[in-house]
Amino acid sequence: MRNRPNYLAGFAALVWLAVIGVPLYALLNTAAQPQTSYTDGGPLGLPSSLTFDNVLTVVRSGFLGYLWNTILVAAATVAIVLALCVPISYAVVRGRGWINRGVFRLFLLGLAIPSQAVIIPLFLIVNKLGLYDTLWGVILPTAAFSMPVSVLVISGGMREISGDLYEAMALDGAAPRRVLRELVVPLSRSGIATAGVFAALQAWNGFLFPLIMTQSEGTKLATLGLYNFVSEYGANVPALLAAVLMSAIPILAVYLFARRSLVNGLMGVGGK
Amino acid sequence: MASLTGVRVERPASAVRRAAPSGGRPGVAWAVPGLLFFAVFALVPMAGVVYLSLSHWDGLSSPQFIGLRNWTRFFGDGQVVQATVITGVLMLGNIAVQAPISILLGVWSAGYQRNRAVLSAVFFLPLLLSTAATAVMWRQLLDPNFGLPAKISWLFGGNANVLGSQEGSIAALVAVTSWQFIPFHTLLYQGAARTIPKSLYEAAEIDGAGRVRAFFSITLPQLRNTMVTSTTFMVVGGLTAFDIVLLLTNGGPGTDTTTLPFQMYQTAFMTYDFGYASAIATFLLLLATGASLLLVKLTGYQRMTGTLEGM
Amino acid sequence: MNSMSRRQVLATIGGGAALMATAAACKSSGSSAAAGGSSTGDVSFWTLVDPTNTVQQAEVTAFNASGPGKVTLSTIATAGYLDKIRTAMGSSAMPGLFFSWGGGSLGDYVKAGKLVELDPALKTHFLASPLQAGIVDGKFVGVPCRGTQPVFVFYNKKLFTAAGVQPPTTWSELTALVKTFKAKGITPFALAGSGTSSWTELMWVEYLVDRVAGPGLFQKLAAGDWSQWKDPAVLQAAEMITELISSGAFGDKFGSVNYGAGGTSTLVATGRAAMQLMGSWDYATLAGIDPAFAANDLGYVAFPSVEGGKGDIANVVGNPTNYISMTTAAARTTAADFLKSTYSDAYVQGLVKMGEIPVTTTAQQALSAASDPAYANFQFDLVSKAPAFTQSWDQALGSTLATPMLTAIQKLFNGQSSPQQFVSAVLAIQS
Repeated sequence: MRNRPNYLAGFAALVWLAVIGVPLYALLNTAAQPQTSYTDGGPLGLPSSLTFDNVLTVVRSGFLGYLWNTILVAAATVAIVLALCVPISYAVVRGRGWINRGVFRLFLLGLAIPSQAVIIPLFLIVNKLGLYDTLWGVILPTAAFSMPVSVLVISGGMREISGDLYEAMALDGAAPRRVLRELVVPLSRSGIATAGVFAALQAWNGFLFPLIMTQSEGTKLATLGLYNFVSEYGANVPALLAAVLMSAIPILAVYLFARRSLVNGLMGVGGK
Repeated sequence: MASLTGVRVERPASAVRRAAPSGGRPGVAWAVPGLLFFAVFALVPMAGVVYLSLSHWDGLSSPQFIGLRNWTRFFGDGQVVQATVITGVLMLGNIAVQAPISILLGVWSAGYQRNRAVLSAVFFLPLLLSTAATAVMWRQLLDPNFGLPAKISWLFGGNANVLGSQEGSIAALVAVTSWQFIPFHTLLYQGAARTIPKSLYEAAEIDGAGRVRAFFSITLPQLRNTMVTSTTFMVVGGLTAFDIVLLLTNGGPGTDTTTLPFQMYQTAFMTYDFGYASAIATFLLLLATGASLLLVKLTGYQRMTGTLEGM
Repeated sequence: MNSMSRRQVLATIGGGAALMATAAACKSSGSSAAAGGSSTGDVSFWTLVDPTNTVQQAEVTAFNASGPGKVTLSTIATAGYLDKIRTAMGSSAMPGLFFSWGGGSLGDYVKAGKLVELDPALKTHFLASPLQAGIVDGKFVGVPCRGTQPVFVFYNKKLFTAAGVQPPTTWSELTALVKTFKAKGITPFALAGSGTSSWTELMWVEYLVDRVAGPGLFQKLAAGDWSQWKDPAVLQAAEMITELISSGAFGDKFGSVNYGAGGTSTLVATGRAAMQLMGSWDYATLAGIDPAFAANDLGYVAFPSVEGGKGDIANVVGNPTNYISMTTAAARTTAADFLKSTYSDAYVQGLVKMGEIPVTTTAQQALSAASDPAYANFQFDLVSKAPAFTQSWDQALGSTLATPMLTAIQKLFNGQSSPQQFVSAVLAIQS
């Protein structure tokens, strides 16, 4: 490969770094200042005084409990989505006949179902199943709505596996279950990892499902906790932005911790 | 591993009667559990919505069947036409901004240089914020008196009143959506770019092809499948997303950024006309599915072949 | 090679169906909403997230300690509150008691028979005009549970002293002030004109129509006579607004300003804007931004009169109060007993400490304990002496009518509609 550094790309990357970094800096900056002086230096200036109060305000509103609930919901959603979508994608990519076309099209259709349109029938179903105001009442619909994207992404990864490898395993007399375990999953790690990331983010981001399907403190999620600070009549801006920050911290921690395996997972098969 | 003969003997008679698919291919049963789950929590409610589109319902009393009246109203509604245009503009804007940047960033971060790994970790950060959090943050940052337009006015062309005009609002929506979702598409492209065999580039280098030429002749074609996936997400996203609009502009100024999904939300939860909202939702569903199916058909995506087939 | 046998396929489908059937059979009733069976059972009470939650919770705790029935308080994020109520009403998850804005916002529920009429004896404990919005279609369905929130003009005293002017009492004084402050490079009025805060623009329309035509016009509108919009007073108010905007009263950037982002109150507190027409809650917002400013340099005055108009300068617009309503899902006795706490001394005093102005007959004495007694008494006098207290139009009309109305007002303010177009647009909402 080339040794000459790509200056243009490097410069563009720096520009993009500024695009990402400046708003994030403004976020951090404002969240660290007291409500009475955060407008002094503007969003990009240096903070005139630093305070931890905003974080305390957010924590005192019960935010940590909400974060924990959100972590549970995200973990369960990812588990369900992957457990269901890997077999489906396998069937879609390798199955014969109508499975291949029909199921794939079905999930394409599912991709476009707007959650706010189905929320009321969905609420009635969740209520009938006795899952209202439980975390499962949030997990199950969120997982279902993450499935189309996951199927799309995972099947995208699976289709890159060349037919030769399947032939080899067929000659070896392998059952589909073994083919899945030994060939397909390892080689489509990138797609699976991406789908997992997406499902986790869906669960993390969700507002409408938690809002409608839960009501008590014990089942509140972080997005609802954030909305505690988005009040029509209130304007505690630094606390609001501190809540924004805190809603991202757990997933940031997971990301930093799992980055290596995530990146490796995304590497897929390099250089055949 | 038992031989073919050995396995067959152990199976119950009923299974032996069935013709065995060759090559160890998965049958229907693999998809059934997932399909059932999806049916209960997504398809059945959607069927409910289609039924509601033929009804009049305010969410409180029982729905009354009114046949196609919602639909005739829908196809005669000028507001719907305007909303469709705005939705289209936003979608195209998002694709035009996000696709090139994501491809370039994805290919760039697929490289193994150390600094690239560090920087791509930073680039991923916006995706960690929820859509609500991002919209709330940007609403703050776009304040004309205390936010970014006041401090770096040159970037905004000297006009700090970003959300006060249609052009500014649309640009703001595209910018905020792109800021948040480019990391996702970058991830898709990064994963795909890493699977491109080095041998292709080495061959090109030997042939004397420059960096730019290699990009257009090798990289882009290899990313074809990912482009389909990524564009499908953007199309569908454009037809279902409404929370950034709700929090940043509320469809305003006036109705300048009232997209079709936003109008649907408004019709359902602000004017409590669930029947009409369901008609809009069904229309959006058909539109999005149609667009995805078209994309898939045009690019041969459904043939389930990889990009390296035949090489 | 065989894939899953037929038997396995059937087992999977059967298992899935059995699971769902079991789950359906095990359905529990919604959390704590007693199905109206036992009248001394438990009651769920839903309310907004907001600083007075502590007072409400204290009341709930005290109530639960005293009697057989228990009340559970659930605080719901403000942004989704109405959605959630709507979705839950008519299902087994319906709350027994819930917080509302009264008026048109309760209309649909009354028509659907979801609300229970309250004990008329409750009415004797409250001031007369705030009670009005709790009476819908002739039925008493909402008891006041919060302070009153009149809307009036806040101003920066320092800026006024520096300019040597007085706060306005008439419209011509107001337009003169606009010129004065504009000449000094100060935005005369802070306005949150973004699509996400269009209710702030509504306040201007409400007051101008009141001052020009008197409170009767809107009363007729709210009672169902939509043709009232044709009244020349509406057109006149719209024209006054257009003139105000073109004279630069709100500056040129108000279209991007959001109230919740502190966009306007910060302008007043930092001296970049001279005045703001806002509800009484803005005091708390300003105090958060700059406590010294709120305590010393904040002035407040009633909305000026309009020369030649029929409206009394003492008329008030705003949120008379907020209400608690009882639904058919509530355990009647428990809920009715709990509602008596809305006028208890402990509750009233708790509200006062949070800066609210309660609307009970006992409220005035409690006000001396307020953190800013002068401000508290100003509001109380304003409300108790008001010949008419018009409820915020969006609450009074209900969301179905208010949503397109707010859009039309938005277009008027950002210049997309002329005053005449505004009137036509609003009339078309209910043709």
